[in-house]
Amino acid sequence: MTNRRDFLKLSALAAAATTGMPGFLARAAAQAGGSKTLVVIQLTGGNDGLNTLVPYSNGAYYAARPTIAIPRKDVLTLTPDLGMHPALRPLMGLWDSGRMAWMENVGYPNPNRSHFASMAIWHTADPSQAQSDGWIGRLAEKIGDPFCASNIGAATPQALRASEFSLPSIDTVENFQLKLPQGLGGAFGDMLDAARSGEAAFLTQATRQMMKNTARVQANAQKYRSGATYPDGKFAAQLRDTARLIAAGVGQRVLYVSLGGFDTHAGQRAEQDELLGTLASGLAAFHADLERQGLAENVVVMGFSEFGRRVAENGSAGTDHGKGSVMFALGQGVRGGIHGSSPDLEDLSDGDIKYRQDFRGVYAEALSGWLGLNAREILNGDFRGPGWLA
Amino acid sequence: MTLTPLTRKLTAEDAAHFLRRTAFGATDAQIRALVGKDARTAAREALAFDQTTAPGNPFDPMQGAGPGPMIQLTRGAWLFELVYGPHPLREKLALTWSNHFVVGTDKVRNVHALAGYLGLLRRHAATASFERFTLEVAQSPAMLRYLDNDQNRRGKPNENFSRELLELFTTGIGPYSEEDVREGARALTGWTFEGGRGNQNYLEPSRFVFLERQHDPGRKTYLGHSGELRGEDIVRLAATHPRTAAFVSRKLHRAFLADTPDEAAVQGSAETWRRTNGNVRAVLEELLASEAFYASRARIIRSPVEYVVGALRTLGQPKLDAKALLNLTQTAGRMGQVLLQPENVKGWDGGREWINDTTLLLRLQLAAALTLGGKAPPLTAAPSALALTGLERPPSAAATLKLNPQQATYLHLISPEFQLA
Repeated sequence: MTNRRDFLKLSALAAAATTGMPGFLARAAAQAGGSKTLVVIQLTGGNDGLNTLVPYSNGAYYAARPTIAIPRKDVLTLTPDLGMHPALRPLMGLWDSGRMAWMENVGYPNPNRSHFASMAIWHTADPSQAQSDGWIGRLAEKIGDPFCASNIGAATPQALRASEFSLPSIDTVENFQLKLPQGLGGAFGDMLDAARSGEAAFLTQATRQMMKNTARVQANAQKYRSGATYPDGKFAAQLRDTARLIAAGVGQRVLYVSLGGFDTHAGQRAEQDELLGTLASGLAAFHADLERQGLAENVVVMGFSEFGRRVAENGSAGTDHGKGSVMFALGQGVRGGIHGSSPDLEDLSDGDIKYRQDFRGVYAEALSGWLGLNAREILNGDFRGPGWLA
Repeated sequence: MTLTPLTRKLTAEDAAHFLRRTAFGATDAQIRALVGKDARTAAREALAFDQTTAPGNPFDPMQGAGPGPMIQLTRGAWLFELVYGPHPLREKLALTWSNHFVVGTDKVRNVHALAGYLGLLRRHAATASFERFTLEVAQSPAMLRYLDNDQNRRGKPNENFSRELLELFTTGIGPYSEEDVREGARALTGWTFEGGRGNQNYLEPSRFVFLERQHDPGRKTYLGHSGELRGEDIVRLAATHPRTAAFVSRKLHRAFLADTPDEAAVQGSAETWRRTNGNVRAVLEELLASEAFYASRARIIRSPVEYVVGALRTLGQPKLDAKALLNLTQTAGRMGQVLLQPENVKGWDGGREWINDTTLLLRLQLAAALTLGGKAPPLTAAPSALALTGLERPPSAAATLKLNPQQATYLHLISPEFQLA
């Protein structure tokens, strides 16, 4: 808890930050938390895994999708059986240099076809849906720092929900600073100091936390100069802010970025093609930026979606909600390649693939292998995944 | 157990509370006019709205030079109505329903579809029949488009609307199976709309049609009922299902009582709902005159739109030009609430989800712009602490003692008390 004196100190720090005050707060936090960062990419709406990592040698795939399958000639070949959607071409360089991993056939027991129930399961890492805290929220509580994980964007996903504190959402780094009107700093502090309970106490606490977090970011963020040209659009801008926060060294261990619109019930090709293009061009620029900053070895990206889609296309040249999908990871720390085996498209469960890999095993690798944390405690169980880290 | 009615006459804080919840907030004069009334009368009068709108709305969506501008104008027109309209409770309910029967302007990009949808939300704001309301929404071009039922054809079912009808609009998760979702989709085949498709035709009228040849007439079983069910049967069975009463009542409690509703009180409303066959007006009248309503103070975090509209209504509805109003729709969007565009079909989660570092910073900036900025509307008489915070002696009172009226108003607007309802 900050008191009035802390507040005054923090606002002085925020004011001094632009004039080059040393970021001692940031360095202390970075030491406490280690130097590796995990960037989580959420594809919201249920990304169609089969049209992302395409089983182009499989006749059953083409039979199930007469209008929306990716033609073999368009597939970016990765192995004799699998290839990427052509819109993912910007990631081919990463694949070729062994820095991109695909995790095949990922899901969880008793799959749920509701967007929201399924997303909550991925966010809480709890298929029984008993928990309300997110896996990243629990991770942050384990580290004990309410700034060690942040969402880049306006709304905080449940994955970052913690019981003891709220993790920040940073819409843009540029605007992430508190500027109080002249002469009102004291009154603002007095107003916050008044005793409150219930939701009012929550809002007071959230405001104090915001003051700390903004001061911490602004103390260092000015140093960043982008090392790559990012494409237009919000997703790429959020990745650039992600790179900026990493370059600023403010001590965040997990950064979270979302790209929405994958609920392709109708006219899937046009929609998903564009989204995958946005994903790939943004991530390629992000990686190039980190390489030029000399930070690439400290960052891995891990991507997921709440579910895949039905194997067979529907009557609207789209696909309905399914189960199981692919995950991906990229970065210098990644063991490139295909991890796990492809689903059997002729042995389906209710029209869906039968998943083989529990997503919590993929999380566990990130938690223990990359962040050096106790995955068992955070995920409430032992989950083995493919060794997707180098 | 139905809800216990409040028996005392409204005090000043009661009146301020009622208006924060039902009118986004109010001026001191509007609060004074309610003091001494009984709660039932106050609720009944607030619910006795008609369909008149604010005069002089500067936004005409038909003037949009493309779908994007048309949508901007639609949002601007709605914000104008929210701020200056004669029936704030109707608008509060329309906003609430837009977060229940969700459609989004990412897919609904036709002027008539959007206007028709908003008109429905206003006409049924305090509907006498939730079933009728659900049917009209289900057959609106906006919903047909948003959840793809216009693509749902015999032999080629599209389950999107059928699923959300149960999961989000009526019973909630629990009383249905995947089989019900599939069977519902079959029954809803053939429901589509004609006209107004495609980006070019965003000004063309569109209307619901039933295409018999695309309908699957076979036998179906849905929520335990079998027969040659049609779309109307599906909507009726879902909307009148016993679990719908509590599921939708809970949403009304979230909008009017607390971000975390009291389950016993929800069940009270659900009982009234079932007894009146889904008469939302009756449920609301009881709710807004109940002890539970008046006992639940400062338990709702105002949404971005409620924050913006609440500030302007409390400041006495200062005249803002069209550009400023359009900017405010975008500011609310950056705070997490774009009118007619929730993140997804579940709608805004609300409550504490509205609050993070970025949205708090934006609330502070907006409050400053409305009170201290160079373009701040003139403040002739500063609203009282009661009007701003709902409390005659708010915790922040001491901090405002040495401030001028603009500064004091600013500080109240960024206080936890103002941000709550």
